[in-house]
Amino acid sequence: MSWVDYLKPLSQGAWVTVQLAVFSTLLGGVLSFAAGIGKISSNWAIRSVAIVYIEVFRGTSLLVQLFWLYFALPIAGAAIGLDLRLPPVEAGVAALGLNIGAYGAEVVRGAIQAVRPAQHEAAAALNFTRRQALWRVILPQAIPEMMPSFGNLAVQNLKDTALASLISLGDLSFRAEQIRNYTQDSTTVYTIILFMYFGMALVLTALMRLLERTVTRWQRAGS
Amino acid sequence: MSNIGKLKRWTGTTALALVALSLAATASSAATLKEIKDRGYIRIAVANEIPYGFVDPNGDAKGAGPEVATAVVKALGIAPENIQWVVTNFSSLIPGLQADRFDMTAAEMAIRPERCDKVIYSEPDTSYGEGLLVLKGDPKGVHTYADFTKPGMKVAVMAGADQLGMMQKLGVPEANIVTINANADAISTVADGRADAYAATGLTAGSLAQKSDKVALAPDFTDPVIDGAAARSWGGFNFAQNSTDLRDAFNAELVKFKKTDAWKQILTSYGFTPEDIAGASAKTTEQLCTK
Repeated sequence: MSWVDYLKPLSQGAWVTVQLAVFSTLLGGVLSFAAGIGKISSNWAIRSVAIVYIEVFRGTSLLVQLFWLYFALPIAGAAIGLDLRLPPVEAGVAALGLNIGAYGAEVVRGAIQAVRPAQHEAAAALNFTRRQALWRVILPQAIPEMMPSFGNLAVQNLKDTALASLISLGDLSFRAEQIRNYTQDSTTVYTIILFMYFGMALVLTALMRLLERTVTRWQRAGS
Repeated sequence: MSNIGKLKRWTGTTALALVALSLAATASSAATLKEIKDRGYIRIAVANEIPYGFVDPNGDAKGAGPEVATAVVKALGIAPENIQWVVTNFSSLIPGLQADRFDMTAAEMAIRPERCDKVIYSEPDTSYGEGLLVLKGDPKGVHTYADFTKPGMKVAVMAGADQLGMMQKLGVPEANIVTINANADAISTVADGRADAYAATGLTAGSLAQKSDKVALAPDFTDPVIDGAAARSWGGFNFAQNSTDLRDAFNAELVKFKKTDAWKQILTSYGFTPEDIAGASAKTTEQLCTK
C-alpha cells in the first residue's frame, strides 16, 4: 500500500470529522448564547441552570464527558428504565457541543457586559423593553466583539473532534489509527492527517471571517 | 454568595445521585437472538489486534475471531452482510457490551475468572501462548517475562490486556511497566527505546515482528510460569451478562463448527499452530471461569 491508497479511507473519515465539527459548533453556538445570556438573567433559576451548565462542562474533561455519554449513560438509563443509548455520532456531537458551548457562554457574557452602560441607559430612555434593548441595542454591539474568540473556539472544536475516535466513531483520526494498525506506517499516516486537519482549519477560519464581516456590516454602514 | 453556596450543594447532590445510579445498574438490556433476527442485523466488536480480530483499510473484518463468528452467525440464520462490525479499543470491549453498544465481541479475549463476573463467554474458540517483541538482536538479552523484575528493565503491555496481570503475579514492579493504548503503538515503543520489550500473545508479537525490521521476537523465549503452570490462554467470544439466550444459541453452532475442517483452516491461515488448535478444545469455559 502506498500513501495514495490511504487517501480514500482517510477522506471518508474526514467527511465524518466535518459533519461532527459543523453540527457540534452549531449546537455549541446556540448553547453559548442561551447560557451566556442566562448567566446575566435577573431570574435566579435561569441563572443557576446556566452557571451549573457552564461550570460542569468547562470543569470536567471532554474525554470523560464523551466516555460518560457513550458508556455510562446507557447503563444509568437502563437503571431508571429509559433507553438512553445515543448513537456514536449523536454522543460525539452532544459532548463536543456541550463542551464548546460552556466556553462560548463566557465569551457571550463577557461581550455583553463590555457594552457601555450608557447604551443601556439610552435604550431605557427611549422606552425600550429589556428584551428590545438586548436584541436591538446590546447584541448588535456585542456580537462583533465575540467573533475573534468564537473563531478560536470553532478551530479548537474542530481539533477536539479527534477525541471522538475513541468512541468507535469513524472520523479522520479513527481511520488513521486503523491504517496505522494495518501498515505500521506512522510517519506517512500522521503527516497526511496533519495536513488534512490544517486544511479544514483554514476553511473554517475563512468561514468565520465571512461571518464576522456579516455581523459587523452595520458598523461600516454607520461611519 | 448564598446562591453559589446553594448551587454547590445542589451540584454535589446531583453528582452523587448519578454515581449511585451508575453503580446500581449492572448492565443495559441486551437483545435475544429472535430480537436480533427481527431487527435484521447483529453488531460485533473487534479490537484491531492482528491476527485475532482486525479491520483492514477497506473496512472488512479479518482475523480468527471475525471469520469464525461470521460462519457461526451464518449457521444461526444471519447473513454475513447483516453483520455490523464495530472497531474499538481492547479496553472498551467489556464496557461496550455492558452499555449495549454491540451484541458480542470477536476479539478472542482470553477467558479469565475476573472477566466472567462482568460478561459471559462462549466456549473457547482458540488457544494461544505468550510472546515477547524486542529490538532486533535482543541487546538487553530478555527471554522471558520474569526478566523484567530486574531494576531498570521496562516492558510495555496493552491497556486492559492479560499481560499486566501476569507481570504482577511474576512480581514485576509497577515502575517497570509501560502501558500502551493499542498494538499499533508497540513497534515504535520498542524501536524508540521507551520500553525494552512488548509483552503480548505469541501470535500478536509474531505478526508485529513481521511488520518492521527494527524489531524481532525474543530468541529462546520461554512461556512464563504462573501459579505453577506455563501460561496458556483460551480466547472466546463475549456477550453481555443477560445475553444468555444469544450465547447459548451461538455456542451450539460454535461447537459444531469447531469439528469442521473449515474452522481448522481459518485458524491455520492466521498462524495458529497445531498445538494451539488442539489446545482450543482442551478446556471448557466453565473450567476457565472457575477461580
